[in-house]
Amino acid sequence: MNPRLNLGHDNPCRPRHFRPGRAANAAPEGPAKAALELSHTRLLIAGALFLLAFAVIAGRLIEVAGFKSGDVRSAHARQAGPSIAARGDIVDRNGVLLATTLDTASLFAVPKQVPGKREAAAQLAAVLPDANADELYARLSSDKGFVWLARQLSPQQKMAVIRLGIPGLEFQPEGKRFYPKGSLAAHVLGFAGLDNTGLAGIERGRDGSLKSGDAPVQLSIDVRLQYILKSELARQIADLNALGGTGIIMDVRTGEVLALVSLPDFDPNDPGAAKPEDLFDRATLGIYEVGSVFKIFNTAMALEDGVSTFASRYDATKPLEVAGYTIHDDDPQNRWLTLPEIFMYSSNIGEARMAADAGTDRQRDFLGRLGLLRQPSFELPEIGTPLVPRPWRPINTMTIAFGHGISVSPLQVASAASAVANGGILYPATILKRPDGPPPQGQRVMSTETSIQMRKLLRLVVEQGTGKLADAPGYLVGGKTGTAEKVENGGYARHALVSSFVGIFPINDPRYLVMALLDEPHIGAKAGGATGGLTAAPAVRRIVERMAPLVGIQPVDENSPEIRRSLVVGLPSPQGRKLAAN
Amino acid sequence: MIRVTTVLWMLAVMIAGYAMFQVKYEVGRLEDRLAQLNRDVAAAREENRVLNAEWSLLSDPQRLDRLNKAFLHLAPVGTVQIGSLDQIPFRPGSAPAPMLAKAAP
Repeated sequence: MNPRLNLGHDNPCRPRHFRPGRAANAAPEGPAKAALELSHTRLLIAGALFLLAFAVIAGRLIEVAGFKSGDVRSAHARQAGPSIAARGDIVDRNGVLLATTLDTASLFAVPKQVPGKREAAAQLAAVLPDANADELYARLSSDKGFVWLARQLSPQQKMAVIRLGIPGLEFQPEGKRFYPKGSLAAHVLGFAGLDNTGLAGIERGRDGSLKSGDAPVQLSIDVRLQYILKSELARQIADLNALGGTGIIMDVRTGEVLALVSLPDFDPNDPGAAKPEDLFDRATLGIYEVGSVFKIFNTAMALEDGVSTFASRYDATKPLEVAGYTIHDDDPQNRWLTLPEIFMYSSNIGEARMAADAGTDRQRDFLGRLGLLRQPSFELPEIGTPLVPRPWRPINTMTIAFGHGISVSPLQVASAASAVANGGILYPATILKRPDGPPPQGQRVMSTETSIQMRKLLRLVVEQGTGKLADAPGYLVGGKTGTAEKVENGGYARHALVSSFVGIFPINDPRYLVMALLDEPHIGAKAGGATGGLTAAPAVRRIVERMAPLVGIQPVDENSPEIRRSLVVGLPSPQGRKLAAN
Repeated sequence: MIRVTTVLWMLAVMIAGYAMFQVKYEVGRLEDRLAQLNRDVAAAREENRVLNAEWSLLSDPQRLDRLNKAFLHLAPVGTVQIGSLDQIPFRPGSAPAPMLAKAAP
């Protein structure tokens, strides 16, 4: 306080004898003044520095307390998160678990720290699976700083090792891929290696999103249908002594694959034990000359392009000689046949003439639109590329009409046949579940009218033609048989057949496609008569009968007037009178 | 006067110091608890994964079919076993009859 302010007043607290001296307030002069000013400046600078320091501390305090608290908390949360980056699960369309990652511990040792190596090796050999004391001893005696003793131990085995109480042993947490359904969907799932990298199937096809591990990968596969398909195919392969087989169930309205089986298969939990032929995915990677199944596409082409109608008649009185080849019928009728009859009896001659009428350009164009001439896009990495004739001669056009001279994968056949039956819209096949909501974007490949005509023809095959054994009563199965001789050494092998059946039900309002293909089936001891109608068709019938109640399809009365009206095809009787098919 | 302020300040310092240590210990306790809870969550998640895997293993249709063949002998549902409600006839004369009987005097 400035004492000068009090000068004019009497301060009651001031001692009577004291008067402030004037000298105290006298401005210093000379060197004293300079010293005083210097210390003033120094004081000011020091004060400013302190102020700055306190301001920094205060600022940091506010920052820590107020704004950065989120970081502090998340640091703790991160610290206690999942110990290892787990590979994501794979589930089926109903959420049933198909592949998961379980925590396992891998055992390693720091050899320098392990005392009594001989004894330790013997003790470890007693509790570890497939371990051998001498080998463990050799590893423990090495002068490395670090040796693996066992990978991916179960919790029980880990506890057993801990109970031994051997110093110098350590555990490293590791994820182990586990497939609870074993071989059920082997070719769909594929498998992952020890370092959690997908090596085949969807494990490889969707490796990126599985590695990120956020959401499970949901497949379009339905485990129940997968089992039905697999067990019926396996039964047929065993009964007919076939080399193998493949089957596909597809939703014709979305292109989703509901089941996909290739036999023989393998256990993804132990892919090392699989033979190369077990790993081969016949449904997507295998390409086959599928034989008469191709008549679906040839007939649809003829109808769509207006080349033929149901009333068109073709000469099937005798085998057809073209460019040094002879085209025979398996079940020769030796007369002129109408288009429905050609399809029903699976006449190669008739289909070849139909294709010749349409011409090579139309055929190539139509098969291309159905996606049969190029590698399809699919989520599994095992994808076969079709084998297409180059150049495409007229003789190729005629043999392709009945499915010879062109090799495609069963998956492609399923997609294309779905498009023929579903009203003419091709949906790309997918193994991933489509999200609920509006139907997927498809591509129109033929008119609805052609598709409806094809449904009638497909039903005719099962009702009266080569596919009678596929008729599951009440479920209105329509379909087409296929029998092809395998190509061997540049020629056709008479007694090595690929027999197949493509079924679609209910054919008056198609929902599902069931395809079965058998590789070299035998009826009795010989293979010659093992046609698609005798081998694959019965399997399709049993699959349809088992799956229909599961997918909620009601059996109907096949003879009710509205169904008859929607599926009837006029056939000429031998006397030339027109009769309704029944 | 000066003494009173000093005492007040010292008191304030002591209270602040006490409060600070209280908060510090409380934070330490909460952090321990958080870490424990996070470990528990991780363990529960892992247990959940194991149980899910086990459930999927036990509900494997191949296994169920094997067990069915060994113990139950159930067969797939056949077409003849499926019908609709209107296919079931009323018991002859039973449905409307009681109503009429009561209405009649």
